Amino acid sequence: MSEMKKIKNLKEFSTSADRFEGANLLCPGCAHSIIVREVLNATNDDLILSASTGCLEVCTAVYPYTSWDASWIHIGFENGSTAVAGAEAMYKALKTKGRLKQPDANPKFVSFAGDGASYDIGFQWISGCMERGHNMMHIVLDNEVYANTGGQRSSSTPIGASATTAPAGRISYGEKKNKKDMVAIMAAHGIPYSAQVAPNKWKDMVKKIQHGMAVDGPVFINAMSPCTTEWKFDPKDTMMLADLATDSLVFPLYEIIDGEKLNITYRPKNIVPVEEYLAAQGRFKHLFKDEYKHLIKEWQERVDKKWEMLQRREEAGV
Amino acid sequence: MAGKRREGEIVMAFDKMELNEVEVWDGNFAAAQALRQVQIDVVSAYPITPSTPIVEGYAKFLSDGYIEGEFMMVESEHAAMSGCVGAAAAGGRVATATSSQGLALMAEVLYQASGMRLPIVLNLVNRALASPLNVNGDHSDMYMVRDSGWIQFDAYNPQEVYDLNLIAFRVAEDHGIRLPAVVNQDGFMTSHTASNVRPLSDDDAYAFVGEFKPMNEMLDFDHPVTHGVQTEEDWHFEHKARQHNDLMTKVFPKIEEVFEEFEKLTGRKYNMVEGYMTEDAEVAIVCMGTSVETALEVARELREEGVKAGVVGIRVFRPWPFEYIIETLKGIKAVATLDRSSPNGAMGALYNECAGSLVNSDVKTVLTNYVYGLGGRDLTKAHVREIFADLKANADAGKATTALQQFIGVRGPKLEYL
Amino acid sequence: MANNNMGWDEFEIGAMLRSFDGAITDIALKPQEERNYSDNNSFTASVADWRINKPVYNKDYCIDCQFCWVYCPDVSIISRDKKMIGVDYDHCKGCGVCVEVCPTNPKSLLMFPEQVDEETAVAGWPEKEEKEK
Repeated sequence: MSEMKKIKNLKEFSTSADRFEGANLLCPGCAHSIIVREVLNATNDDLILSASTGCLEVCTAVYPYTSWDASWIHIGFENGSTAVAGAEAMYKALKTKGRLKQPDANPKFVSFAGDGASYDIGFQWISGCMERGHNMMHIVLDNEVYANTGGQRSSSTPIGASATTAPAGRISYGEKKNKKDMVAIMAAHGIPYSAQVAPNKWKDMVKKIQHGMAVDGPVFINAMSPCTTEWKFDPKDTMMLADLATDSLVFPLYEIIDGEKLNITYRPKNIVPVEEYLAAQGRFKHLFKDEYKHLIKEWQERVDKKWEMLQRREEAGV
Repeated sequence: MAGKRREGEIVMAFDKMELNEVEVWDGNFAAAQALRQVQIDVVSAYPITPSTPIVEGYAKFLSDGYIEGEFMMVESEHAAMSGCVGAAAAGGRVATATSSQGLALMAEVLYQASGMRLPIVLNLVNRALASPLNVNGDHSDMYMVRDSGWIQFDAYNPQEVYDLNLIAFRVAEDHGIRLPAVVNQDGFMTSHTASNVRPLSDDDAYAFVGEFKPMNEMLDFDHPVTHGVQTEEDWHFEHKARQHNDLMTKVFPKIEEVFEEFEKLTGRKYNMVEGYMTEDAEVAIVCMGTSVETALEVARELREEGVKAGVVGIRVFRPWPFEYIIETLKGIKAVATLDRSSPNGAMGALYNECAGSLVNSDVKTVLTNYVYGLGGRDLTKAHVREIFADLKANADAGKATTALQQFIGVRGPKLEYL
Repeated sequence: MANNNMGWDEFEIGAMLRSFDGAITDIALKPQEERNYSDNNSFTASVADWRINKPVYNKDYCIDCQFCWVYCPDVSIISRDKKMIGVDYDHCKGCGVCVEVCPTNPKSLLMFPEQVDEETAVAGWPEKEEKEK
């Protein structure tokens, strides 16, 4: 097994040679590519990658261009995870039969998919991969909507967000249901590692990706991906949004080992009120109307409750 | 018999089987044996009646040490074909099996697989499509994916299931072809009915198919490739056109080459269109699956009675054997196409394909259509005799003496159209 | 740059694309300038025309913290041997994230209208901002 790349600090990290290229079609300021870069730069090992239909796929592999410097496959919307699982199975088969062209390689198998592709239409496929125990990592690029098709709600869309199929209007405040807890659902498969990451905390992300790549078995990573186009903020503020999300604990950063032990991996020095996070995004602006202000209070209560639960689990060692 | 196989320096850790000269296998087991012999690298599959015994047989071979390879029992048929595509793109020999609803569920992935030009062999045990739900044999699943860009073979009995599997791998994996292939067989009627099969030995079968030769494989890390791109109005047409072109121009020559080689090896000769007693036939039935042999039995009896009856079995359904059909139907005065799938508001698929083939040719024949055998309803010799009687009347009159489309074997008032 | 005019008979089947011309080993250890990119790699394309504003780099204030490198979505901050080299204007979309994350005072990267040339921009760099106590 090859040594995991040593990354002590950001300067060291910056010597990485990216295997993801620019001049793709992603929106300026898109967090997807920031996340992909951090993930791919976390290792020097060979990679087999996939993407499910969605922003990342559609913007990085439009004939006649590809932005990927590692082997990459897209089949469809539901099945990016299964594509990588199939490739992983082939790798194991060829390794046993001695037919690998580079037998000393130690490839990592990573599938990327949006929240729509992962929480909804591809849910079963990911569950299957996790259950079968493939040595792979599924990373959700979570921008809380079907961004590629214009911002429709997914089961990752949080309460009160205005999405095009759950829009805020005269008599509605938008999405009525809260996010599914995918990290917990996937951890309940008993997989070795399940975690939530955010692009602004690059060191936390790299540590988790490296850990996920080192363990034997399926890994599930939920990566928060602020979407300038659908969350409605200025492209330059992508990292500011990520900071607000992690520091308000709307997106807490934690990991679950073997489905049994939860560790919180980021504790903000100053916890920011959820209201600041909501105020920074156009998709929540209607919540600041008098008749919906109570929803902001409910948001804070939900985030506090979740944070409390995470801390209790960590303390109890479960 | 236990034994180790050596290939160059690599010792394969599985046992060979010593087979009898004549085995008694049903279609499912014949398929499982063929898959064992060709040494699949990854099988990604899901169980569904009546194809399940294929993957069960394969799993048992694996657990008994006769196979070395990965076996992914996934959580749905869509995932089964998705796993196959991922594995095929990674670069190795891939196969799966399904039927009916499972095929319907994986239908989108079939188009994706062929569009990506990946060799995969699918054993499709033909079964009816719901609703209403039915587990028995008909051709509605086969028909459902006829435009999916796969090469499609049809086996009428277990021997042919075995043979066509070996042939399918040879054709699909060829670097000049690179198209996935389906081997069809009738659900229950072939899959669960045992008959004599003359298999090749493990060594001969593997040698015929040959070692898998990768192309554009993801697992060659020195040559990263991107599979499954998006093409919009500026590129899509060219890519789809290329696929159609290769199906129209490259597949038949390759299949013919492989059929010839197979004949030299086994004495069994396959053709794109199997014409039985068609050279001097006046009347003929065109059909697929087990119906071919039923029709053939009746045709032989009719010959004794002085009727010049012939039977045409479609062996390769896709690409459609346009010119071979014209050649085979030449001189036949009345032809009935039998479709084992409800066309739901149109003429049957075989009728349309044959009519399309003949309309601009100089073959003049009276062409009629019968829909039969849905959901495993038997096609009896009596039914076939009825059809040949209609054909004789058509041939004598020089035109259709019945409705153009009839349902045969269904209870209730006679169904006839046009 | 890729050829956008090929006929149906002129490309590889399956719409497959190769990232590089010929073989490449140890990709993760080779910086972009050492790679044999194929015409189909988006590295050989440009999105410069997306920009309305562009980031200009001023090395006088830069501390080589590499925040801009890690947070650039478009691999357009060029850093070698832990030192900032500059902006890759072929691939930069002008999103402005690099400017926002730059911690120096004044910032070492600032947005300027696309037409302004870098020398003029650097010459007119703002002074250090007084922070509120």
